[in-house]
Amino acid sequence: MIPLVLYVLLASAMFTIGLYGLLTQRNGIKLMMCVEILLNSANINLVAFSAYLPNVNGQVFALFSIALAAAEAGVGFAILITLYRLYGTIELDKINALRW
Amino acid sequence: MALAFSDYLSLLGGEALLTGLALVMILIGLFMKNKNLMGILSLVGLVISLFLVMGADMTKGPLFYGTLEVDALSQFFKLIFVAVALIVVMAGLSRYKDSPAQDEFYVLLLLATVGMMVVASSIDIVTLFIGFELASLATYAMAAFDREKQNLEAAMKYFIFGSVSSAMMLFGFSLLYGLSGTTRLAEIAAASVESMGPATLVALLFLVAGFGFKMALVPFHMWAPDTYEGAPTIVTAFLAAGSKKMGFVAAFKVIFIALIALRFEWYMAFAILVAITMTLGNVVAIWQKSVKRMLAYSSVAYAGYIAIAFVVVGAAEHGGLDLSVAQNGLASGLMLILGHAFMKTGAFIAAAVVGYMALSEGRKNPDDLEQYAGLGRRAPITAFCMLIFLFSLSGIPPTAGFVGKFMLWGSAIDSGLVWLAVLFALNSALSLYYYLRVIMYMYVREPAGGKIIEPKGYVLAMVVALVVVLWIGVFPQAFVDFAYSAAEVLLH
Repeated sequence: MIPLVLYVLLASAMFTIGLYGLLTQRNGIKLMMCVEILLNSANINLVAFSAYLPNVNGQVFALFSIALAAAEAGVGFAILITLYRLYGTIELDKINALRW
Repeated sequence: MALAFSDYLSLLGGEALLTGLALVMILIGLFMKNKNLMGILSLVGLVISLFLVMGADMTKGPLFYGTLEVDALSQFFKLIFVAVALIVVMAGLSRYKDSPAQDEFYVLLLLATVGMMVVASSIDIVTLFIGFELASLATYAMAAFDREKQNLEAAMKYFIFGSVSSAMMLFGFSLLYGLSGTTRLAEIAAASVESMGPATLVALLFLVAGFGFKMALVPFHMWAPDTYEGAPTIVTAFLAAGSKKMGFVAAFKVIFIALIALRFEWYMAFAILVAITMTLGNVVAIWQKSVKRMLAYSSVAYAGYIAIAFVVVGAAEHGGLDLSVAQNGLASGLMLILGHAFMKTGAFIAAAVVGYMALSEGRKNPDDLEQYAGLGRRAPITAFCMLIFLFSLSGIPPTAGFVGKFMLWGSAIDSGLVWLAVLFALNSALSLYYYLRVIMYMYVREPAGGKIIEPKGYVLAMVVALVVVLWIGVFPQAFVDFAYSAAEVLLH
């Protein structure tokens, strides 16, 4: 069996990658991808812990969070599409009527 | 203890009604030409739900396999959420009258309210996360509702920061689950008392970051002024009063219930965070030309004031003081949350009236301070309400703001945090400057135009908020008792 610590390391690495992307990227779609990576790193944690624990709460939690991530992507892309129609771009550093 | 279906209905009737109503409204909205009925429908639904929340029996046990609890704490916050939604719907009656998309506005508002109510009730991190996300997703869409450039930018910022904070929260929850092997808050607390290590601290760090975004604590506040300024003003009222308070109730629940073992560790770090938050909020608010942005920074400062409650509890535990000190601190934090919810909603709705007035006269910068010149003569009701809300925000008696601030100040001194109490008083004095500046513009400057007709919905909303703010200020006893019993739930 793969030791738990490797799963946690993988999740932490994914979380770091997602956070790094959020700080460096300015394209709307890329930001959404980074958010998905962040959420999925937490899901890996949940499922891995659940496999080592005597209950399945973590796997249930992961299922809920996958569904929520889908809903979040739906709202996010709706906002991005409207943004694109108004500004003609989704490079967020070009959109700064307010201070970004 | 097995509960019958009728028990579920009487305990969670408010949520059930609002969810059902939202689903029905989105369906019949497809077939209706004139949608003005929708506002009335949600108004009636929220009023009934308010009574259902007040009437719920707080002694019955946990619901849904121990994931939701109906107690004084949850009902205290549910009353705030439903009442704020009610006031915003009243304003919406004028704002979105004859709009073809108004059904969507009310549906999103109702669903966001349900999400907040679920957060207030949950005693399990899974339900807490789902409620949190339901409220967040609905408010992201609301922030973009008018589809103007400014709205979309505000919504985008809110969405990015909001979803990062949710992801951080989820990561923190996943670590807590891994450490304790359970998703129940009470069991997590028991487990973290037993084995507290550096991993628990890491989980706490993620959770503070996640909740800090929603509460707009420095350094997680940077989205708040932009979003509050750019979103439609009545949505801003809902964000500042509802969404932010949801962050507080979640933080109260998780940080107090789940991480009891860590109380000793974090209170000094939190005290510094609080001091920076309130000072920065107030100092930056002074420089703002836009009243909406100024109110947003004052909201950041208020997040700092309210978070003093955390510090007081931490200090009381650390110093081995009587439990009543911690309870005082927590109850006064709750009173400030209650007061702030109503005065901020009211103030933003007054700003919405001014914005409406400026736009209908074809002027630029509808939120600018210049638009408030002579408001006392141009729109007497709005100006008077704004006057009371600003007095309340600065903590002048007999208003809700005074009660909350006074209690919190006293409890900070009781717990031995004199330096924090002094800083709190200084900050309140500082904030008086920018609140009085608006009042000066409203009543001293020459009006820039004739008298205007104030839209009825806005007036109704402001008057209701005004009555509540004065009511809490003049007869605080019933509210204070409620806040104490809510604080007891957290501390026992």
